Amino acid sequence: MFILIKRVFRTAWQGLVRNNWLSFTCISMLAISLIILSSILIFNNTSNNLINILKDKMDISIYFKRDVPEEDILKIRDDLIGNEKIAKIEYISQEEALKTFEEKSSRNPAIKRALEELGENPLAASLNIKAKDTKYYTEIINDIDNSAFKEKLITVDLMENQRVIERINSLSVGIKISSILVILIAAFLSLLISFNTIRMAIYSLKGEIEIMKLVGASNWFIRGPFLLEGALQGIIASFIATLILIPLIMWGSPRVESFIVEISMSLYFWSHFWYILLYQTLFGIFLGIVSSFWAMNKYLKV
Amino acid sequence: MPLVYFKNVSKAYNGSLILDNVTFEVKSGEFVSLVGRSGVGKTTILKMLIKEEPPTKGRIFFNDKDINKFKPGEITFLRRKIGMVFQDFRLLSNRTAYENVAFAMEVAGYSEQAISKDAPELLKLVNLEEKANNFPHQLSAGEKQRVVICRVLAQRPELILADEPTGDLDPINAWEIIKLLTKINELGTAIILATHDKEVINTLEKRVISLDKGKIVRDEESGKYLI
Repeated sequence: MFILIKRVFRTAWQGLVRNNWLSFTCISMLAISLIILSSILIFNNTSNNLINILKDKMDISIYFKRDVPEEDILKIRDDLIGNEKIAKIEYISQEEALKTFEEKSSRNPAIKRALEELGENPLAASLNIKAKDTKYYTEIINDIDNSAFKEKLITVDLMENQRVIERINSLSVGIKISSILVILIAAFLSLLISFNTIRMAIYSLKGEIEIMKLVGASNWFIRGPFLLEGALQGIIASFIATLILIPLIMWGSPRVESFIVEISMSLYFWSHFWYILLYQTLFGIFLGIVSSFWAMNKYLKV
Repeated sequence: MPLVYFKNVSKAYNGSLILDNVTFEVKSGEFVSLVGRSGVGKTTILKMLIKEEPPTKGRIFFNDKDINKFKPGEITFLRRKIGMVFQDFRLLSNRTAYENVAFAMEVAGYSEQAISKDAPELLKLVNLEEKANNFPHQLSAGEKQRVVICRVLAQRPELILADEPTGDLDPINAWEIIKLLTKINELGTAIILATHDKEVINTLEKRVISLDKGKIVRDEESGKYLI
């Protein structure tokens, strides 16, 4: 068994080195396939991250009329916390709201002056509600809309919130579906590119395969080194693809970030570097082996 | 028991009959020449013997076993028992002379020690020990054919099929190959030589099966090329 493995490795390595132009072509094509696939995966993951960031930032703020006493608001908060769709509620008193507002507008003397002229706190107390899942926001808004305390609220732009929430939800679903589709198409294209290249390479070696058959070699004896050669090509292609991806990401990431700040492809790439290298290598090995297996079956029927 | 037995074998390609009800036997250790014009069916007979082609009709026996009933595993085993020498050599182009011989031995399941001992000896036997590390494109036609014979011998076959082995060789190299095949035959391996080289056949003075229009027209011990 050990001798057989040794022979398979030796033959595969010889094939890789001696058919250097064929190997170069196959590795180049495999690397291109892997670059396409990895770029799409990185972009999809970063855009999914963007959706998650947006979802995380999402909450509902309900503002109470200024004459509603604090105890009533706190009671409403305690009632709402029992709602199984709600994860967290934060009470912001009028004083806290003013303090935050003053901090935010400290560099704007006009606002400061306006507040001084008013002589009283114009801001309302509020409850910031975070749902357990973004899909619950619409329901929570409906619940609030139909609640007994609706009268105590200042007119809230519930409908506006609702629209944003629905848009983010549908965007998230859309991105997920299109991600899967694009990944599937890219995987299919990768398979097509590598399969056809390896098929052409094996076609040029069909004479050799036939000779091996006529000398009495079994199908697996012939197949073994070819499959291993395919796997080695996949591994080398993965490393080359990574070496090309690094400058590509370094160049492309700031350009994407200039449009959408939250999308940092380079951050994602470096934080997931080993994961990307691993799946890319595994996919490269898979492409190499599957393509070689399919391509050579035809010539083993001698 | 004959080593090879063709029983009423016919072969047609696209409706055109190449071999018509051919019957003959080859004994163990025998040297048989198949002669006839090009396209008469000599190569087809050899191809059918290693199951590269199936017969359209009839049965072919090797060591009393019907090779048409062989499973894929048995076919690979059959091909190790029947060595094939081709006119166009069919060496593995990206392997050296030594590696071509070693490959045949690996296929037959020889150990690394046996390969490193026997392969150089076989190459020495055909005066190619100094070209063991040459690739086929670095060898002359005669040298290539000698490597092919080494490859065949490496598997210690019971039968060697030589399909126009001298077709691409100059007269000197051609005679060296024929002498080599005769020597191998003297050591006990049966040989079927398909050729249309009149001079070779007439000098050999071995059994000759003459084919014409897909039929055996003559089968003589110590025969001559008479077509």
